[in-house]
Amino acid sequence: MAAPDSRSSAERRGVLVIPAYNEAPRLPGLLARIAAEALPLEVAVVDDGSRDDTSEVAARAGATVLRHPFNLGYGAGLQTGYKYALAAGAPWVVQMDADGQHDPRDVKRLLEPIERAECDLVIGSRFLEPTGYAMGALRQLGRRFFIGIAGAFGFRVTDPTSGFQALGRRVLELYAGDAFPSDYPDVDVLLTAHRHGLVVHEISVTMHAGERPSTLHGGMKSVWYLYKMMLSLWAASSRIPKAKRKEKRDGRNGDARAPA
Amino acid sequence: MDETVTLARLRELFLENPDLEATRWLALSISALLVAVVLWLVRRRALREEYTPIWVAVSAGLVFVSLRLDLLRELTRAIGAWTPSSTVFFLGELFLVAICLNYAVRLSRAGTQIKNLAQEIAILGARVDAIGARDAREGEPG
Repeated sequence: MAAPDSRSSAERRGVLVIPAYNEAPRLPGLLARIAAEALPLEVAVVDDGSRDDTSEVAARAGATVLRHPFNLGYGAGLQTGYKYALAAGAPWVVQMDADGQHDPRDVKRLLEPIERAECDLVIGSRFLEPTGYAMGALRQLGRRFFIGIAGAFGFRVTDPTSGFQALGRRVLELYAGDAFPSDYPDVDVLLTAHRHGLVVHEISVTMHAGERPSTLHGGMKSVWYLYKMMLSLWAASSRIPKAKRKEKRDGRNGDARAPA
Repeated sequence: MDETVTLARLRELFLENPDLEATRWLALSISALLVAVVLWLVRRRALREEYTPIWVAVSAGLVFVSLRLDLLRELTRAIGAWTPSSTVFFLGELFLVAICLNYAVRLSRAGTQIKNLAQEIAILGARVDAIGARDAREGEPG
């Protein structure tokens, strides 16, 4: 893997990964709000083959720009950030969406359990506590369905589709592999982390309403999403070696839970 | 006459149908044409050598079948088909399914490799940008 600039600031600070596709109009506002928080993180915007000025806007705001030569998908964008962070020796990554739904003021809280080595992955949950976040009926149904499936594998989580997460190095190493999906990494990758014995926590975060409706869970895409996620969940549950299964049965419990 | 017997006799009639020379020559011509097209594609660098064996094997299979139609007839009897042409179609379909699956696997692998390369380019690009920015700072007077 290509090593970023030798011993970059990421090595000391961790990386804030923001996958972005045609987000030039909204990035300046988000990056300004991030800068105002003076976070101890290198901000890396992954431009997933945008047709607008996403890269230029991000570079002008002082972010590191990782530019895909063509569109690869949201998951691949995240993974590029993970690979960059790993190569830079970053101790952890925080990921957030570029559409302004996630609040940079929550980043420090998201990181704290990982900095204290209490867990490997922290999910910013919209549903752990009442936050007033509204979700369409179909998406709500889908969320409950996948939460149920994850529960069947002994993994309890309230917001498996949250894109606001903090990840420790062990998670980055797992997610940098070829099994990580290029499109929608959701409950399947969380289940993979759980089944690899990584400890997942959730904390409640504020989620602002997006400025444009999500197209991911509408129409035929819902059907494709359902099919693909079922297949991914099956694959995730069948990839763990038997020895690992035995080890997990005998010992660790990796439920997502709120830190004490 | 018993209907089952009639059908069985009808099937025998199909299977006993004498070989048509025209069919044999058509199969031989197609196999020769297939080999010629494969060679032409290799010569034009449109087809890599490692992908040729399967098509050469198909061509060889066609030649074999057209020379030994009696074996095709035996196979037709064994699998319960009525006519040798049905058996050829059946084998052809199996071949197409197998080759489509094979190419889907190759395509998946190639897609992952392309994604990894694109990510590598993005990371290298960031490194080049960082080096350029550092050089620009060091080149500034004062």
